[in-house]
Amino acid sequence: MHKNKPHVYFRTPLKLIFSLLLLCLLLVAPSAVDAQESGGESGAPAQVATVTPNDVNEIAKELWCPLCSGVRLDACELKACEQMRDMIAEQLAEGQGKQEIKDYFIAQYGPQVLGEPPLEGFNWLAWILPFAALIGGGVFVWRNTRRMVSASPKEAPATAQTVADDEYSQRLEEELKRYD
Amino acid sequence: MIFDIGHLILLTALILSAFGILAGYLGGRWRNTRLIQSSFNAVYAVAVLVFAATVILWYGLLTDAFQLSYVWNHSERALSAFYKFSALWGGQAGSLLFWCMILSGYSAVVAISNRNRHQALMPYVNAMMLVSSLFFLTLLVFATDPFKRVGFVPPDGQGLNPLLQNFWMIIHPVMLYLGYVGMAVPFAFAVGALISKRLGNEWVHTVRRWTLIPWMFLSAGIIMGSQWAYMELGWGGYWAWDPVENASFLPWLTGTAFLHSIVIQEQRGILKVWNVVLIWLTYFLVILGTFTTRSGIIESVHSFARSDVGPYFLAYLIIILFGFLWLLFDRLPLLRGEHSIDSYTSREAAFLANNWLFAGIAFATLWGTFFPMFSEILTGDRISVAAPFFNKVNGPLFLLLLLLMGVAPLLGWRHTTLAAFRKQFTFPLIAGAIVGLLVFIFARSLYPVIGLSICGFVTATIVQEYVRGAMARRATTGENALVAVANLWRRNGRRYGGYIVHLGIVMIGVAVIGNEFYQQSLSVTLARGESATIGRYELVYNGMTSERQSNRIEFNALIDAFNLDSGRKVGAITPQRNIYDKTPDMPTSEVGLHMTPFEDVYVVLNGWESGGATATFTIYINPLTMWMWVGGIVLVLGTMIAAWPHPTQRRSETVRSLAYATGDD
Amino acid sequence: MTELTGADPNVLTASEAEIAAQARRRSVRIWQSVFVLILLGFVGLLVARLIQTNQSEHRASGQAPPFTFTTFEGETISLADLQGKGVVLNFWASWCAPCRDEAALLEAMWRREKDNGIVFIGLDYLDQEPAAKAYLAEFDVTYPNGPDLQSAAARRYGIKGVPETFFIDPQGNIQQMVIGPIVSQAQMDAYLDKIRP
Repeated sequence: MHKNKPHVYFRTPLKLIFSLLLLCLLLVAPSAVDAQESGGESGAPAQVATVTPNDVNEIAKELWCPLCSGVRLDACELKACEQMRDMIAEQLAEGQGKQEIKDYFIAQYGPQVLGEPPLEGFNWLAWILPFAALIGGGVFVWRNTRRMVSASPKEAPATAQTVADDEYSQRLEEELKRYD
Repeated sequence: MIFDIGHLILLTALILSAFGILAGYLGGRWRNTRLIQSSFNAVYAVAVLVFAATVILWYGLLTDAFQLSYVWNHSERALSAFYKFSALWGGQAGSLLFWCMILSGYSAVVAISNRNRHQALMPYVNAMMLVSSLFFLTLLVFATDPFKRVGFVPPDGQGLNPLLQNFWMIIHPVMLYLGYVGMAVPFAFAVGALISKRLGNEWVHTVRRWTLIPWMFLSAGIIMGSQWAYMELGWGGYWAWDPVENASFLPWLTGTAFLHSIVIQEQRGILKVWNVVLIWLTYFLVILGTFTTRSGIIESVHSFARSDVGPYFLAYLIIILFGFLWLLFDRLPLLRGEHSIDSYTSREAAFLANNWLFAGIAFATLWGTFFPMFSEILTGDRISVAAPFFNKVNGPLFLLLLLLMGVAPLLGWRHTTLAAFRKQFTFPLIAGAIVGLLVFIFARSLYPVIGLSICGFVTATIVQEYVRGAMARRATTGENALVAVANLWRRNGRRYGGYIVHLGIVMIGVAVIGNEFYQQSLSVTLARGESATIGRYELVYNGMTSERQSNRIEFNALIDAFNLDSGRKVGAITPQRNIYDKTPDMPTSEVGLHMTPFEDVYVVLNGWESGGATATFTIYINPLTMWMWVGGIVLVLGTMIAAWPHPTQRRSETVRSLAYATGDD
Repeated sequence: MTELTGADPNVLTASEAEIAAQARRRSVRIWQSVFVLILLGFVGLLVARLIQTNQSEHRASGQAPPFTFTTFEGETISLADLQGKGVVLNFWASWCAPCRDEAALLEAMWRREKDNGIVFIGLDYLDQEPAAKAYLAEFDVTYPNGPDLQSAAARRYGIKGVPETFFIDPQGNIQQMVIGPIVSQAQMDAYLDKIRP
């Protein structure tokens, strides 16, 4: 009786939670895409008339100062960076989009303005290897664990599930059990 | 005179540490008590000597002894005594000396506190600690002598790097070094255990505490470094994944992994090889990080001036890499696991997943840090690997880790039954879903909703654990809730202190998510009396003032911030620029900040014209940033609770070591 | 191993166990080798990088690395085409204050030497075209100048900053490298004499 109760109680909330989470995901996913699209559209053509420092920084934020290391173009105080920001302003005024400006910067100063390895050639390795290592490590751990799991006796003794940190917390777990 | 003595002292310390290594190793092998005692004495003597040398350099800095090249290059007369003192770690030679002082200090404290314990282990621990000291003393004596003379007595010094003249720069390096250098202690214990073949649980208990302490300093150091970057570099952020930042973060990652996996070794006697490897990796990454930032092989805003310490570091790196591996491979048969993992839904499995993720993040960070270097050697192309790469690769992994942090404490050791599963997960899952829903109502984007609901989930887990623990105590002892929590900390600090650390991490996570996804910024040029609006704030520019300080001129922009909702003035914000006499082309920025629990109004003064008639600002609204600093404090407090020796543990430790003393070998 | 067989009465199982143990040992050894090899590779790259870092500090002599660039006027020039002439290669940028100290002297020398078989070339380092053109107009620079796209030449020459000037003789060897502006006429004459055809 004591054991059956949780079954009745907890199944519904769990289902509810999962459906709520699912609902959240469904609602969120398209809206996130929307936000991105509208951001992309409003970026270029709307501000042809007056280019504010804000518009410039919007793009400079995604570029890295080629003269410094690890300094974003919008925060860089070198005169060279100031001129680069002027360049962005000029290109924005000409009606160019974010991607065009970024491409121009790559052509002029090289891929190091991106702050990340471009997806081409040898640089693919930068992106692939961490995930390959992670998956490889995961498989290694999983295989070793599986050997252990399948080798261990299936019906673990009832008390074993609460073998705890030490003497005290074992007692604590027992107390907890008593009060459930 | 005195500075020649300084050099001589370092030389003596070098010879003594070489002697101590021999004494420790041979004493341990032959079980010769006189040699073992000598190794202890050598540790104490080296600590005293290096401290004396450091005091002499401090004396040189404070008395403006510009005949010393180091003092000349890193100090000046007009510098305040505070910064003269901290100039010790402002440059290459001095910071290596400081490093060496902390290292020998650690060795001495470890030696004193374990002089009657771990009899078979300690001679080797002393020897290994002295090996580290010997390396740094070699650098100080042969490569970068902090007591080198200029050849004449210059009238004034060149001044300290202006970026380092900041309050956080006094305390941050100290914390960072305390953490960094302290990782030599667990490594020394691991080496000692491997050499002496005493690989039982005995050394593990000691090493856990000796990892927790440096780990706490390292965490505090990293947080303080972020604080410095936030206040001083003025780009609206606190962490740029810069190579030097990564150098401090890498040992933190492996050290954190070790602190978790050591628990499984204690509980189940497995992962012994992995744990030793993690300790070694942590120490290796400390040396590697120091090497990369000091040899000029990686460019960074923080790196030291290029010098010829590179080859020394590389040689030492190779020695510890392959020397240790050789030792490890030889002792591999002694490191078999005693038990196994019974189920995927067990706490051990969760710990394994934790280690897998930490190792993955550490690898990705290491790889990203060194990739530009490899790419330049192999392809000749220069690329940069900065925040976008690390955020994309590490971001999801951190999110998983955060999730795991909530799940793991809910799982039982060995196996979790379905009933226990339901009982444990219901409340945290509901809490997480509610948080997610609330965030979703206010701001609809995917990552923050997921991230913040995970934060809610983890917090609820922690709260649930505390409530359960406190209620169990109340039920048996009848004490009130506060006393019950205090007793949980006192009696089982490792577990409940650990939860506090997790809470700190959640707070930092919240701050990161807030900043990463909800930051707003605005660049404006304002004439005196004009105002700018950002978020729910209106900022009015009221002109500039300037103030002459001992070695610089401070320019302050006066801004009043108003809350648009209430229409009330919320405070004055004063972004600042400092122009230093010695380096006028390197003005530093001090951001103006209005900090609230919800958001920071963060103002950078970019420039001004005609005496401040107009000024240009970059204004950021950084949501929830305060929680990063609060989280840092909580994390340190939690670590203190976890590392505090408590009565039952002390008793059980002696019981255990007795058991091993009789049972082992 | 022999102990194991001797201790175990069941010989068949023991030898099976031995085979399994051997296989395990072999796989452990393979993993160890792989691990060591990866670390060796890493250390090797660190060594290479350290050597590279220390070397690039003094790339002041030897064969001049080839480069090709397009001037602001659209003309394509490559170092290989200039065999037989002395070349003065100057890296500069419009945002660079010290470059201004030598701009006038460089232009004057170009006007003096252009009929003596010496070519001046300006490579514009990490710069912006409008600002660069304004700079060239300001100093009335007439020798060929163009952007060093993606800093390709700058990297080959291992420059640490601007201005840096390389004096390349008609055989294509670097005879002199100067870091920072050249302001002394005597110095300039001495360097030019090194690369006359």
